[in-house]
Amino acid sequence: MTMEINGDSTMAQVLETFPGARRALFRKYHIGGCQSCGFQPTETLDQLCERNGELDVNEVVSEIKAGHDFDKSMEIEPKDLDPAKARVLDVRTREEFDAVRIDGSEFVNQELVQKLMSQAGKDDLLVFCDHTGNQSIDAAAYFVGHGFTNAKFLRGGIDAWAQEVDPKMRRYKLEQA
Amino acid sequence: MSDEFQKKVEEAIRDPKNMGEMADADSVGTMGSANCGDMLRVWVKYKEDAGKKIIDKATFQSFGCETAIAAASLAMELIKGKTAEEAMEMSGEELAADLGPLPPTKVHCTSLVENALRDALGGEPKEDCGKNSAPAAEANSNLMDDFTEGSRKESGVKLVFLDEEKD
Repeated sequence: MTMEINGDSTMAQVLETFPGARRALFRKYHIGGCQSCGFQPTETLDQLCERNGELDVNEVVSEIKAGHDFDKSMEIEPKDLDPAKARVLDVRTREEFDAVRIDGSEFVNQELVQKLMSQAGKDDLLVFCDHTGNQSIDAAAYFVGHGFTNAKFLRGGIDAWAQEVDPKMRRYKLEQA
Repeated sequence: MSDEFQKKVEEAIRDPKNMGEMADADSVGTMGSANCGDMLRVWVKYKEDAGKKIIDKATFQSFGCETAIAAASLAMELIKGKTAEEAMEMSGEELAADLGPLPPTKVHCTSLVENALRDALGGEPKEDCGKNSAPAAEANSNLMDDFTEGSRKESGVKLVFLDEEKD
């Protein structure tokens, strides 16, 4: 699959092609830190670069692509995860966690985050998981950004785990209450 | 980014002061959208002193960049002993003065701290947090919410098992 973006690409296209672009832009350029300096889906990459100090578009594209590779490096396949050899950290809601969970996993709340920050070893294998793998990547990136070199996220989340590792685990979906 | 600035930021985040949720806070304020980077939440506890209601303690949590964490850490210390009005008179630059002059791309962080604090203290946000505003940025979900979603009492969604749905 060809994954190309350029200055004419809208930010929606950029994010569709490289879902981690938002993280990469913030990590490198501090763009998108809050609502007011975020970007619109219809805004082009050229426009974004121009209003942020005339950034070099090609350089920004390179950073976004590098960010994509960085995200991939944090991914762990369900079949490669041995819960006995990792701290499995579940960032889903309490309701989801109580319903189904990977044995030995820990429910992540603010207290646990602070505890991990201060007490976990920098090379400990920390594997964040969520429902489908879309949110845990941010948690892993956050910990990597704080020097936890072995922070990962479970590809596909607990849903992939249920399909590929533990078929007895009940799968679920979330609906608006 | 200057080495001196970076050094001060690293010093501040190495042992951040007043970090973490405060269970018995009198008020809480939030600013930013951590889905795209910065998000800061501030808790404030007051006490009475000589007939005045002053800030006894303030804590914060941030899933944003290290500069925001450093600036918040310094600010929480500075506002202790002040009334809400006195604290709200302090600008973002004053709150993070110990970091020294901020690079243009990081000035945004002090606005984040200032406005989160104003939110906690009952004030209105002074202005948006900065430069480079998008024409009309849309509301986003955010990383802080992702992290804390599990600890929220009401998630607003219900869980439906797929095997039950088939029945």
